[in-house]
Amino acid sequence: MLPERPPARWPRFDRRLRSTAVTARVGRLLGIAFGLCFVTGLLSHYQYHPWTWLPVPAAPAWGYRLTQGVHVITGIGLIPLLVVKLWSVFPLLFQWPPVRSVLHALERLSIAVLVSSALVEVTTGWLNILQWYPWTFSFVSVHHWLAYVVAGSILLHVAVKLPLAREGLAEPIREGAPPGGISRRGVLAATGAGVGVVALTTVGQVIPTLEPIALLAPRRPEQGPLGVPINKTARSAGITHIAASYRLTVLGPRPFDLELAAVEALPYLERHIPLACVEGWSVSARWGGASLLDLVRRAGGDGGSTVRIVSLEQGGYGTSTIRGSQLHEALMATHLNGGRITLDHGFPVRLIAPDRAGVLNTKWVTRVEIR
Amino acid sequence: MRTRLLLGVVGLALLAYGGYQLLHNSSVTHPSEVAKWLVIALIVHDGGLAWAVLVVGWLTTRVVPARPRPYVQGGLACAALITLIAVLLIHRRGHAARGLTLLTQDYGAHLAVLLGMVAAVVGAAYLVRVLRDHRQGRSTANDRPAADQTSPTE
Repeated sequence: MLPERPPARWPRFDRRLRSTAVTARVGRLLGIAFGLCFVTGLLSHYQYHPWTWLPVPAAPAWGYRLTQGVHVITGIGLIPLLVVKLWSVFPLLFQWPPVRSVLHALERLSIAVLVSSALVEVTTGWLNILQWYPWTFSFVSVHHWLAYVVAGSILLHVAVKLPLAREGLAEPIREGAPPGGISRRGVLAATGAGVGVVALTTVGQVIPTLEPIALLAPRRPEQGPLGVPINKTARSAGITHIAASYRLTVLGPRPFDLELAAVEALPYLERHIPLACVEGWSVSARWGGASLLDLVRRAGGDGGSTVRIVSLEQGGYGTSTIRGSQLHEALMATHLNGGRITLDHGFPVRLIAPDRAGVLNTKWVTRVEIR
Repeated sequence: MRTRLLLGVVGLALLAYGGYQLLHNSSVTHPSEVAKWLVIALIVHDGGLAWAVLVVGWLTTRVVPARPRPYVQGGLACAALITLIAVLLIHRRGHAARGLTLLTQDYGAHLAVLLGMVAAVVGAAYLVRVLRDHRQGRSTANDRPAADQTSPTE
């Protein structure tokens, strides 16, 4: 049996500031933020793995821009919020006795799972935005499946702590902190200010009017060539130049292929379509080029076809599939914001469609296959 | 109670599903590597970061006088949260592949600007407090309790 009192050197904390009143308030916000990230994350996952009978719609064109912008900015804001939440409950790590019963042991174990999975989830998300992968696993798979672990652990945690959380929320925030230091309201104000500054100085990579103050944004979308960022260079895709023998091949019941000059001579359309990256940045742009659907029809397909777009890029995101309303709206773009698209933007021709995750707008297109 | 039970059951189901998939797709999820990251996360936070915050908090009670202390603590907390985000941006700057529109800013300088702004706001708030104390000290003499002098946001 453990002694009733902790050993002399066991850490002791004053919990008047790190109180349930503070924890419950920060926790409520954190729960909402994780919920937003979970839902928008699943929507993003759907972009890559849609059901055949329910393709991602083309409208609203800014749909993915909104949901993925929310996902990434909320995710960034979660990092400071999470450490404040953990700060407020840190004394509980040293509660005495450490374990009171089997049930208590299980509850503490579930909190270890919650804390570690939440920390790893936000860290992997943040590092992915910085394109830094200091691990051997697939980021997408782990970030996706670990999200279920985090969401499940949060729900379990809420189920266990709900009465305590209600108590904490009912407790006034004005009083209770020990004199001679920061108040509970002061903690919440400092947290709000910190998270607010982080959000305001990163959201400019989604909202153009806030770009001038995007001091901590990994990307400044306007800095890219032709006003659109480069997230994958031609060189890194293994493409150094476009050979004179380049052809755009369209495979279907009536297959044909086009030389570069013929591609450029196709009927020219212009459309405003935002480009929104899974990494959270997005930018509105004016794209010009031929209608993909026209090419599909010429090869014997129609608006109901499923079309596979194949890039000169080998592997990775070298192919994508498009169908439904996105196919109707899609361009085989040769121009961007009035200029001929550059090699890094997908020269000679790239796919662009509304409400479509950035990387699925395949660059360096060489083949269109009607399924 | 029914709400809690429902939350618990759904939570356990999601947890089990995510855990199962992490193990089931081991060729891409590398469960042992994930486990390593989960443990490292706990060690870095619970064994490092949390203690660093404790030490700084303790130092503020030793070094900083009582009247400015809540302002200094609030300012440090806010600054630490901003720095938490900036630190990897600074560390990774220059690592992005050539030609990418990524990590193109001088994040060290930007962090300095933001921390300067935090310091300015905190300094201004403290100045207001000092001036108010000064005025109240002259007009109402000593009829306020001493404890009231330490609450930062009242």
